[in-house]
This record gives sequence, structure tokens and C-alpha cells, in this order.
Amino acid sequence: MSAIFPKWTNRLPLMIIIGGGLLATGVTAGVWYYFTPKYVRVGYQPIQPVAFSHATHNGQLGIDCRYCHSMVEKSWFSNIPSSSTCMNCHNQVLKDDPRLALVRESAASGQPIPWVQIHRMPDFVYFNHSVHVNRGISCVECHGQINQMEEVYHAQPLSMSFCLDCHRDPAAKIRPPEKITDLNWKWSDDPAVAAQQQKAQGQKFVHDWRVESLQNCSACHR
Amino acid sequence: MKTLSTTAALTGNSRREATNPAAATGRHYWRGLDELAATPEFRQFLEREFPEGASEMTDEVSRRHFVKIMSASFLLAGVGLAGSGCRKPEDKIMPFGKAAENYVHGTSQYFATAMPTRGGAIPLLAKSYEGRPVKLEGNPLFPGGNGGTDRYAQASILNLYDPDRATRFARRDAGGVLRATSRQAALDALAELARQFAANQGEGVALLAERTHSPSRRRLHQLIAETLPKARWFLHDAIDAEVHQRAATKAFGKSVKPAFHFDKARAILSLDCDFIGAEEDSHNNIRRFAQGRRIGKPTDTMSRLYAVESLFTLTGASADHRLRVPASSVIQVAQSIALELGVPAAAKAPIVTEWITECAKDLKASGSAALVVAGNRQPLAVHLLAHAINNALGSVGNTVQLLEAPGRISGDLPELADALNTGRVETLAIIGANPFHCAPADLNWAAAQRKAKTVIRLGHSEDETAAHCDWHFPLAHYLESWGDARTSDGTLVAIQPLIAPLFGGLTDLEFLARLCGLAETNPIRIVRETFAALIGSASDATWNKFLHDGFAPTTAAKTVSATLDSSAAVEALASATPANPGKTSLEVVLYRDAKLDDGRHANNGWLQEFPDPITKIVWDNAVLVSRKTARELDVVNGDVVEISLGSAKIEGPIWTQPGMADYSLGLALGYGRTAAGRVGSGVGFNAYPLLTTKSGHIATGATVRKTRRKYTIACTQDHWSMEGRAIVREGNLDQFAKHPDFAERMNAPEAPVEAPMYPNPFDEAKKTALHQWGMSIDLSACVGCGTCVLACQSENNIPIVGKDQVKRGREMHWMRIDRYYASNPAKRQFGQTFRKEESQQFDEWIDDVQAVNQPMLCQHCEAAPCENVCPVNATVHDHEGLNVMVYNRCVGTRYCSNNCPYKVRRFNYLDYHKRPLSELKGPFYASPITHRTGGEWDLLRWWKDQDSGMRADDEWDLIRMIKNPEVTVRMRGVMEKCTYCVQRIEGAKIAQKVKAGASGDVVVPDGTIQTACQQACPAGAIVFGNVADPESRVSKLKQQQRDYSVLEFLATKPRTTYLARVRNPNPAMPDYTAWPLSFGEFERENGEVNFGSRHGHEPAAEKGGH
Repeated sequence: MSAIFPKWTNRLPLMIIIGGGLLATGVTAGVWYYFTPKYVRVGYQPIQPVAFSHATHNGQLGIDCRYCHSMVEKSWFSNIPSSSTCMNCHNQVLKDDPRLALVRESAASGQPIPWVQIHRMPDFVYFNHSVHVNRGISCVECHGQINQMEEVYHAQPLSMSFCLDCHRDPAAKIRPPEKITDLNWKWSDDPAVAAQQQKAQGQKFVHDWRVESLQNCSACHR
Repeated sequence: MKTLSTTAALTGNSRREATNPAAATGRHYWRGLDELAATPEFRQFLEREFPEGASEMTDEVSRRHFVKIMSASFLLAGVGLAGSGCRKPEDKIMPFGKAAENYVHGTSQYFATAMPTRGGAIPLLAKSYEGRPVKLEGNPLFPGGNGGTDRYAQASILNLYDPDRATRFARRDAGGVLRATSRQAALDALAELARQFAANQGEGVALLAERTHSPSRRRLHQLIAETLPKARWFLHDAIDAEVHQRAATKAFGKSVKPAFHFDKARAILSLDCDFIGAEEDSHNNIRRFAQGRRIGKPTDTMSRLYAVESLFTLTGASADHRLRVPASSVIQVAQSIALELGVPAAAKAPIVTEWITECAKDLKASGSAALVVAGNRQPLAVHLLAHAINNALGSVGNTVQLLEAPGRISGDLPELADALNTGRVETLAIIGANPFHCAPADLNWAAAQRKAKTVIRLGHSEDETAAHCDWHFPLAHYLESWGDARTSDGTLVAIQPLIAPLFGGLTDLEFLARLCGLAETNPIRIVRETFAALIGSASDATWNKFLHDGFAPTTAAKTVSATLDSSAAVEALASATPANPGKTSLEVVLYRDAKLDDGRHANNGWLQEFPDPITKIVWDNAVLVSRKTARELDVVNGDVVEISLGSAKIEGPIWTQPGMADYSLGLALGYGRTAAGRVGSGVGFNAYPLLTTKSGHIATGATVRKTRRKYTIACTQDHWSMEGRAIVREGNLDQFAKHPDFAERMNAPEAPVEAPMYPNPFDEAKKTALHQWGMSIDLSACVGCGTCVLACQSENNIPIVGKDQVKRGREMHWMRIDRYYASNPAKRQFGQTFRKEESQQFDEWIDDVQAVNQPMLCQHCEAAPCENVCPVNATVHDHEGLNVMVYNRCVGTRYCSNNCPYKVRRFNYLDYHKRPLSELKGPFYASPITHRTGGEWDLLRWWKDQDSGMRADDEWDLIRMIKNPEVTVRMRGVMEKCTYCVQRIEGAKIAQKVKAGASGDVVVPDGTIQTACQQACPAGAIVFGNVADPESRVSKLKQQQRDYSVLEFLATKPRTTYLARVRNPNPAMPDYTAWPLSFGEFERENGEVNFGSRHGHEPAAEKGGH
């Protein structure tokens, strides 16, 4: 009986196994990398309706974060300031600047400015700002160097493992409460000294303040 | 006060507003904008892909089909990824343009308000989130109150978001149909009517309203009497709660109403008075009753309750001695007891039994600490007799306080019907009432109402009455209203709006003021004027304090002393003829339903699905009969019978109720609505046709005819007996004094301890924790009212599932009240475990039973059986002892539920939140491949609109507003259960940590956290707290000797423990047993409990324990 299949087909099963294996590895690796918040979320920088610069307001002028995000110490939600808050200064400063037209209009009419949301927790995560900022976790840990951003972008993945990294070892990030909004603050300019200080002081804070390194589901999911 | 419009301004992340790529602000994807992203299909995919409601597998698909569709979605996902970069939808954050004062976004605000009731008002504290009320709690500041409420108050918030509410101003057109009209046109019509009325001093004007205790309403009434002297007022309530005041006024010759102090009473006799359940103000009664029954030490004393009743009620379940007699014979029992006590009672045929003699002796012995109460469906004569007995015992002024009460200034419904029939009414204004459903049948209301030329109505929904009105105005819910009320003790309480009227509804005050052409029509000013007049101060400070606290202190009605006119009772009794119901002349007892009230809550899904506290029936009423009656009538559960009474005939299904009086038919009012809305129309049967003005709520002479039809009733607890197991443990007071450890003695023999193969990781975790949570439930205090169940439903976003699903055992309540019956063990056969549940109705033991109630919720076992079997670690322990349920891990194997010995886990079989009830039928959704809806192939329907089969927009928009934002709304395929209100625990911990700041003061003080059930409980039976703190309340309760765990022999180490129930029977009574019947059943099954030695359980073990 003549051969129906050519001889190279003898190797076909092996090729399928190897090819399939490579493909599966590739897909897994691809999903592993491309589907994670580290890739998908970091760097997200939408255009905002008003070209507000944190670098100018906070970095250069030194306005404290809490002047605008005034409820961050009281609520789970760190509020976006109302337009009337902007007008506290801007009815004196840059009074007629065309870039602020929308702000002036909003403050006058009461219609909100539609800011584009950048940082967002899924609905099944109950993150609370107040408990973090009151207990020595700085804005910079999750939001990055906002004080240097002309336009805000997503600086950290804010994935569950990102949260857990800190929750497993709060001593590595905790700082004196009065330095929470000082995003440039370090224990020391010398990295080695800073690391050593962080370790020593961090552990002291964790102990003295009875910081629980909560890793239970109930801490964030309800 | 925030309104809807400001709410919408806060965040723009709703499902419907999600993305708009054409927004003027432009969008800027960090990987470049792809044209594909702008196509509607892709946008739809984006919207649906993001796990917002995590609802996506809920479209019309079967399980198999779901896989197909999901693979298609993955393909599309691939396309999306390759082409555009997979981005989440762009959401907007909408901050205020102008900052609102004192508003912190993300935190809740609390406002004091009150829910008006027939008997007064329930002071409330309403929680408001983003400007919408989401939860109601009792006002803890209210003098004497404990923050407890009742079922209706807990569920009333759902009426605010009822999609079938009246949403429009409507006018009847020439064809007789209500058509929407503008608000202005409707108000103009009111003004026109007002002008007509003014011209003829209100000649031919009749106002029909429901009873309220609003001083402002009363003031308007008087103002209207001045401006329109010929206008007439009428009040109607299908449930006559005013009889107490009428009786007291008649008996004491002054305008007074009685206040019953169950806390001060030592012996209470209830003459068909369900003061724990169906009477008005039950939450206060429960609080006082529980106070009088609370025991801690074996030496404590408690009150004793005798109940004489025909229906088995919650009061009967709490009673130490219960006498079942037909409701029409209660008067004879009352007369006999009066005779025993030497009170003139004109008894024609006194019943002399040991029960009555001994009960009377006990009342006499208690003297001024005795209390006799008569139920509101009983005739006036029984009430007068009860007052006479109380007076003779000296309890008037002690357990019965007489409060000054304003007299009646309105007519009643029969008078109105008479006025209508004689053509004296030209314009009838109906405020709130629904006479088409509730009016007594002999008034022939439909014909009478038609005699009025114009009928104008202000109503909560366009119901049966609305269809016959010329004008229909939407009534504002009390959470949308300015108003005031007096509670049962006369204290003035504020009703302030939590939200602007959702549909522009009017309050009764504004409606009246406009209709009658008063100068002031703004309800807040009307209320403030009344307040200023009553308090004598118009200052802002007083007013603001009134609104803040919710009540005006020291405005309670004055107690007055009065002498009894003993002839009143004798006179009334002279005409009373004892009825002797029998097989051919049955008695009909029409009672206020524990869920729907008089029918007003028929469209409230929470209440419809709340199991009746005694029968445990949901979504239905039934003809309740005793076993003997059922046998004689040859009917079984589910048989549809026709009840004839005079010329009226109604049909309903039979339900055998243990402990019912023979020849008595119990019929709940309020069902069988024809125009209640999507939830309540066509549920149950209407019993109002049997209600007449002459016979009232108790009628005799009914006959029953069996039809050949059967009807299925959904009941959440179909097994009635504990079968001798120690689930609910009970003792009698005298035995408790001797054997304070009786509950512990009922523990099963301990299994030999084997070292577990693996250490419990929780044992390590709890060493470092700041708190350990636990709960204690006092079964002596619990009366089984079920307020906790509804509070839990409201707090935890628990969906309703509909009758069909409940029948399949899929109810979602995280907390249920188990009700068991116990009987004299000598009377029953045990060891018949495998008998069908249906055959219980034929057993003789159900005739005279004791009932026990037990709230059952997740026990938060330290060694939780559910956790071991979860393949995905979706249910785990946290370090503070909570058995937590992680919804986003759950894959729905339901192993945990199978392995839970307490059966407290609930599974979302279908998408209960997003589907309307009409879609929740059968085990699965109908397959879209074979099924058609409205002649259209379902798959095609789905292809066109992926929201088909979901709740209609109007329904969804309202229903989502009631959701507690702090609790996840669970999707289909996810297990859920009681979390001990983890959101409240975490909220309190966070608040404490915020307060602590840079300090170690992070332990939450005892009493800070109240679970929703604990908060709502009027009896204070539930206590939650930190069991690691020996000084906390819960720890102290757990140290009591009555403390026990359910199914302790499974070594699950539950964190929820119970305090055994203690009864207080009278040893002289004929039905006295040394131990409660359930204890007798236990001993019969497990052998005698040995109180001799510390190891008393061992002999029991030999006789074969569990």
C-alpha cells in the first residue's frame, strides 16, 4: 500500500507538541505581562479639561495637597476640589487667563468640570484614604511624584499585589505623619542612611502605633 | 438636604453614563487612539467588559450557551487588544462647581426624622449617602427608646424607591382613563376647587384621610373648619387602632388613651391582644416586655404572660400559658375572669375552668403589677372589661397609664358612605386612603364613591382607588416630606425630608392647604408655625435643635388620673351574645398582616418575601385552620376552599396552623390587590369582602366548601419540630434557679479529643489581633418579630427572589428566624424522622404547642466547616475571627453551603438584582435558543439589546438608589452569607485608627459597633462586640451560665452563641410542666439530664445520644 501521508508527517505530532507548547508559553507570558495593571495602567495620562499643573501648584508654589484635596483625612474618597476652591486664589491670580475660562464658568454656574478619572479601584475594593494618610502613608507611595507632574499620570500599578507589598511590610513605607504631603521628603539624602533610618524608624512606628499589617480579605473586600 | 440633581453631579461613573468618545474634552489613549474604539460595538464591549456590576453573564443564556457566548467575547477581546489597546472606560469625576457646606463626599450623613403610623410615629435616624437615604434606624436619642424599630419602618425605605409609585399628576379623561397632566395644571385645578369651596363655605366637600397623629394636620383641620365650616372630615383605617382610646375614654369618662407598661407588669393577661405583633406600637411593647423578662442571674425574677387567643400569634409564642379559644369566645373568658376577681361582668355563661381560676388568682396576687390588655379586633365590651379588671386590681396608674389624648374630630367611613349615598357630597378628596381595597364590603364603596361629582385623590400609587378618581396627585413619601407627629406617648417628633420629592409629590399638609385655599401652603412653614405654637418659641435655635434631635423634649402627653365608670362595661356586655362556632358555623378572624399591614405594603418586595413570623409563609396569605377543623372539613394544606359568610364568598388555600383555635379561620388582610404594582398585584387572596361594619374583624357563621383545586404555598420552614434536639434550649424560671447550668447540661457527650492533623492557622492569627468579634443572642428576650431580618436585608443589599425561587429553597435572607413547635412528648410519636413534612398537619401533637424562636445567622465558627471544603479559598477566616466571604474569588461550587451545619449560606442562583421578578422563574433562565418572548426569538432579542430581560430602566434607576454603597452587590453564581456587618466593623476600626493617628489607641471601644440586626432589635436581644475584652458586654453575656452553642458537639466553636430561653409558668396552672415541652422532648430522645454531678451528661450518653 502506497503511503498516503508523506514521510515528514511522521514528525508532525512532535512538531505539534513543541509548537503548541511554545504557543501556550507565549500566550501565558503575554497575558502575564500585558494583561496586568503594571502594563495596562501605569502611564495612563488622559487629557484633562483644564490644563492644571501639579508641578506648578504643589512643586513650585508649595500649596499643600490638602488645600484642595481637603477631605482626604476624613473620607475614603480624596475629593477633587470644587471650582470655587480654585477661585479662592484665581479671583486674584491670573484673573482673566483664557486657560481658566472653564473654571470661572463652572464656579459661576455651579456646573461641574468633567475631570477624567485616572486612578480607579474596582468596585469590589474598598480603599480608604483617611486611614492611610492619618497613619503615616504618604500620597507619594501610590500616586508617585505628583508634585513633579505637569499633567497627572498613573504612576503605580495599584494592583492587588502592589497593595499587598506594602501591607506585608508597612515598616518599609511608613513615615512621620507630618511628612505625609511632603512628596520629596526622605530620611536622608544618602540612600544608605535613608534605608537604614526607614528600617529602624519604620519598625518603631509600626510597633508604637500598633499598625496591623492587614492581609485579610476583609480589610479591603466586603 | 441634597437633591437628586446634586447627587448626579458628584460622580459620573454610572453604567449608563460611562463613555462618550465624542466628548468635547477629547480623549487621549496612551497607546494611541484607535478608530475601532469609537465604534458602538466596541464601546458596548468596553462597557460590558469592565466588571462594574460584574453582571455580564446574566443575559438570556443557559449555562451551556454561556460558554459559547463567552468564547465569542474572548475572540472580540482579542480583536480589541490587537487593534486598540485594552483600556478601561473613561470615567468622569464631577466635583461640585460651588462647594457644599458641611459635606464630605464619601461619608454618610444622618438626619433625625420619623415614620408616621396609625398609633403615633416611630422616631428614626436616617442614613443618607450622596444625598439619598439608604438605611433607617431607630433614633437612639429618643427618651426611653433603644434604637429599635419595627418591620414596617425598616422596609418603608423601599417604598420610597418603589418603581410603581405614583410618578405623575393625572386627570381622568372622557374615556375614564387617567392621563398624565402637568404639575402646574394639577395645582391650578386645586386652586380652582379652592375658589369654589370658598364661595359656598365648603358645602358638599368631604375629606377622607387615614389617621395620623400630626399636630400640623390637626391644626389645618381646625383652620379649615374656620374657613370652610361646612366641609366635613372623615377618617378611615382598615385596622382599628383607635379602639384603645375609645374604650378608655368611655370607661374613664375623659378623653384619654391607655399606655401599657409591660415592663412594670408581673402578670400580664392578653385577651386576643397581639401586642408583640399586630398591635400598633409593637416595637415599644416588645422593648418593655423584654425589659420585664430580662434575667441575668438565677435569682432574678421575670413577668408572666397569659395569652387567650384564637390565632397563634407572636404573643402566644411568648406566653407562659396560652389558652386557645375562638376569638368570639374571648369575651366569655374575659367575663369569667372578671367574675373570679369580683368585677361586675354580666356573665351569662361563665366558663369555670382551672385555667381561668388559677390565672385570675395569679392576677389578683400581682395586684397593681397585673395588666390585662384587649386586642384591637375584640369588641369594645372586652376592652371595657379589661379596664374594669385593671381598675379592680389597682393597676390603673401603674401598669396602665392614662394619657391625655385629643378627642376625635372626624367622622368615620360609614358616615361618609351615608353622606355620599344621600347625595350630600359633591367633592370628595381622598388623602392616602385606599377605600376601594379596604372599605368594609357592606358599604358598597364603589357605588357610593361614584355619587360624588368630583373625586380628587392624593395617593402613594395609582392603585384600586386611583382608577376611580377624577384627579390623582402623587403623595410624597415621608422621607421626602416636611411634617410632624406625636409618638404613642405624645412626644412631638419631626419629620424632615432626606431628599426632594423624586416625582414632585405633595405632602398631605400642602395638598390640604392648597385644596382648602389656606394662605400658607409651604409644608415646612406650616410645620414650623405649629411647632412655634406648641413650644412657644419661634427661635431658630429651638427649631434646629428639634430637627437635630428629632423630637421636642418634655412634650409627652400628661398622665391623668380618672375614676372608672363601671357601668360602661356592664352596659356594653349586656348586648354581647356568646357565639359558639362549630363546623357549620365557623368563625372568621381577619387580622392585620405581619408583612403587608392592611395592604399598603403590598408592593414592597422585602415585606412580601419576609416569612410570616409564625406561619413562615411568603408571598401569600392562607386560610389558617386548626388540625381538628381541617379534619372535620376534610381539607389538607393547599386545598383551595370557598368561604361563604352571608352573601360574601372568597376563595383561598388551606394551611393547618398548630395551636389554632378550633372552628376558627384566620385570614390575613391586605392581599389580593389588583393594582398594587409589579410586585404586589395578584399576590394572595383578598379577605376584605368578609369585612363588614357590623361584624368587624371577627365574624361568625361562615361555611367552607372545598373546591377541587390545589394551590402551592411557599413556606420557608416546612419542618415544625426540633425532634428532641437541643437547638433551642429552654428552662423554667424555678428550675433555672435550681439548675442554672441546664443549658450546658444539654450538651452532647464530648467526642474523645483527637489531635487535629493540621493546626488551625486561625489559632496563630488571633494572637496578634486587636479584637475578636462575637455575638450573643438572648432567646429569653427575642420574641421573633423579624425586624432584624429586614434590617439585615436593607443594610446588606439582599435581593428578593420571588415565590417560585423561595419554593426551591433559594431565599437570600442572611438571617432567618427559626420557629419550632414543641409538644407534650407523651402525646407524640418520635423516631419518625423520615416522615414527610406534609404529614405533620395530621398529627395530634400540633394542637397544643409551645413555640420557640431562634434567630439563625452565620455562626462565624472558629473551626468553620465551610472553609475546609472551598476549592478556591473564597471563604476564609480573618484574624479577628470573622468567617469572611470573598465574592470575587467565589466560583460557585456551593460546597461550603453543603458543609454548613447551620444552613446559613445563600447562593445567587440567578441574577436576582438585575432581573425583574417575572424573569426569575424556574431553575435556570429559559434557553434563548428555544425560547420566545412576545413572539420574538430570545437570541435575536439579546443580539439587538443585551439588556433585554433585565429590569426596566425606570425600575433599575430607582432600585439601585437604595443599595448600601459600602456593601458589594453580589452577582449570579456567588455564595453569600452574614458578615457580622463587616462594613460597620471596618468603618469603626478605620474611624478609630484615624482618631488614633500617630498613637497606639486603635482598639475600638465596646459598644461602638452595632450590627444592623442588633441595632434594629426592639428587644435588645442581640449583642455584638469584642470577645477578647473580658469587660465588653458580649463577653459578660457569654459568661452567663445560660450561654450555649448550637450543635456544639460538632466542635465548630461558633462565635455566635445563644442564651437559653427561660419561661415563667405558674405551677398552679393545669398546663404547668416542670420543664418546657421542648426540654421534655429532649429528655425523651436523649435520656434524662443528670443534674447531680459535674459529668452529668454521661448517663445520657449511654441511652444513646445524638
